[in-house]
Amino acid sequence: MSARTINSRFLLAGKVVGVLALLFWSVGPIYWALATSLTRPADLVSKAPRFWPEHVTFEHYARLFGAESVSQGNTVQSVWPQFSAALLNSILTSLAATVLTVAIAAFGAYAFVRLRFPGRNLVFVLVVATMAIPAYTVMIPLYRLMIMMGLIDTYVGITLIYVSAFLPLALWLMRTVYQAMPLSLEEAAWLDGAGRIYTLLRIVMPLAAPGLIAAAILTFLNAWGQFIVPLVFSPTLATKPLTVLIPEFVTRNYVDYGLMNAAGILAIVPPIILVIFLNRYLVSGLMAGAQK
Amino acid sequence: MTAQRILAARPAYQFGEAAMGLAFVLPIVVIMGGLVFMPLVTTVIDSFYRVDPMRAGEPFIGLRNYTDLMTDSNVQASWMNTFAYVVMAVVLETAGGLGAALLLNNIRRGRQWLLAATVLPWCLPPVVNAIVWMWIYNPSYGVLNHALISLGLLDAPRVWFNDRGTALFLVTLVHVWRMMPLTAIILLAALQSVPKELYEAAKLDGAGALKSFRLVTLPLISGGLAIALSQSTVFAFNLFDEAWIMGGSGLDTRSVIIQVYMSAFQNLRFSYGMALSLLAMIASLIVSMIYVLRVYRETRLD
Repeated sequence: MSARTINSRFLLAGKVVGVLALLFWSVGPIYWALATSLTRPADLVSKAPRFWPEHVTFEHYARLFGAESVSQGNTVQSVWPQFSAALLNSILTSLAATVLTVAIAAFGAYAFVRLRFPGRNLVFVLVVATMAIPAYTVMIPLYRLMIMMGLIDTYVGITLIYVSAFLPLALWLMRTVYQAMPLSLEEAAWLDGAGRIYTLLRIVMPLAAPGLIAAAILTFLNAWGQFIVPLVFSPTLATKPLTVLIPEFVTRNYVDYGLMNAAGILAIVPPIILVIFLNRYLVSGLMAGAQK
Repeated sequence: MTAQRILAARPAYQFGEAAMGLAFVLPIVVIMGGLVFMPLVTTVIDSFYRVDPMRAGEPFIGLRNYTDLMTDSNVQASWMNTFAYVVMAVVLETAGGLGAALLLNNIRRGRQWLLAATVLPWCLPPVVNAIVWMWIYNPSYGVLNHALISLGLLDAPRVWFNDRGTALFLVTLVHVWRMMPLTAIILLAALQSVPKELYEAAKLDGAGALKSFRLVTLPLISGGLAIALSQSTVFAFNLFDEAWIMGGSGLDTRSVIIQVYMSAFQNLRFSYGMALSLLAMIASLIVSMIYVLRVYRETRLD
């Protein structure tokens, strides 16, 4: 064997090890959560280590969805009322924030790129600069403001805070999308007598669809995973999302890891679906969002 | 400049166009102004007052909040913890992210799937990540102890969070698990913009893999590296979710943002928390600014 083939085999082996390590690191913990959520409570606290569930059980999921169970002789109530309310809250606030953010960014970024109006650059720079300001910096005055306006623990309040937090990234993303679009397309439409609004809705936005999808995915994922905002602004189940509810399954007596892992697995289903089916848009959005 | 000539030739703004632009931007101005800029100004102003819902009056106290912060031992401990989080997270995310990006850049078959798997942790709610890892770290039944014992690396199960250094490291690891994908993607984008011919030229000049990495790759991805470094710094500075779920209000793992949250919403000292949150914001801005400037300057000399 020549030095070259030895070298390339070495390289191939290195790649294989690298791929396996990366997969183990990224997917391993999720596999473990799934395995835990399917393991019987008694097996979870057994001393013998197991890397897969010995007897697959759905009882943790059943408790989330309404079944009562018996633990140490006591009837354990189902957590369905809380779980379903939090799930609905998560879905509603994340979807509302996504729709609003993407709609505002789609029109706003177009204005920043194509329309000339007084204060254009100043507003854009100021808004994008807030990406560097952590949301936590303004949270305390925001709390007092929300109390004053009666928006604590309301969908409107939570959604508005999400929009203010995720709008700069969406605007930045949509601006790079519009900038990459040739002006000649729009000019051709105007020459044909199409108005500005018609051109924007019928010609520009369909072409910008991949960017809009990317912005929507990023916003949804950010909103879905938010913790500190609802921790402060959603004190009750009226608007409390899954991220705040799930850690509360830690009771005073014991930590129900089976239940928490089952709830966690359900909470990561939407993000996993997005990654599997729309990963292309997600990655392009992350790449565009990072290029400054 | 032609742009200036065009601007001079016609009125500065056409009424219809300007009106439409303002209409499109109005929601942005209202939302960002009301929910970010106004509160930010309030934060600065109120940090010089005593705003305290449990006490009457809001007197001006000058720099009292700031001088109190300097001598508060809890605040000092939380600064030390945040400093440790930032250093460990930035080093691990950059090293791991660069490795993952190089690997992804050199793979042809199944790259989409490996990329999806790599990005996945970033997409999940940080709270769920923290819970999943807390179960992995569990002293009695956790898979980490099981695995280390069966590999013979550990004699008896360890209670990981009993030791401050270990606890900080393990919280960092969860944060790194979530944030490393972002570094990897930023660096992958940078790697893909390096022209292939440069590698061939380096090879012809007799440069080995390591040398061509140092002389070709590194200078050309420095822009992406600066962005990745400042991103990971800002996110590690603002670490809250993982540390709060895993360590709660415990001083061993308390970050500055947890301290802000506790000052404001548990001890109900609003303006004290505001002063601290301002300092945290300024610190993270300065540090990430340093990266960007230094990386740009150093690579320009190359």
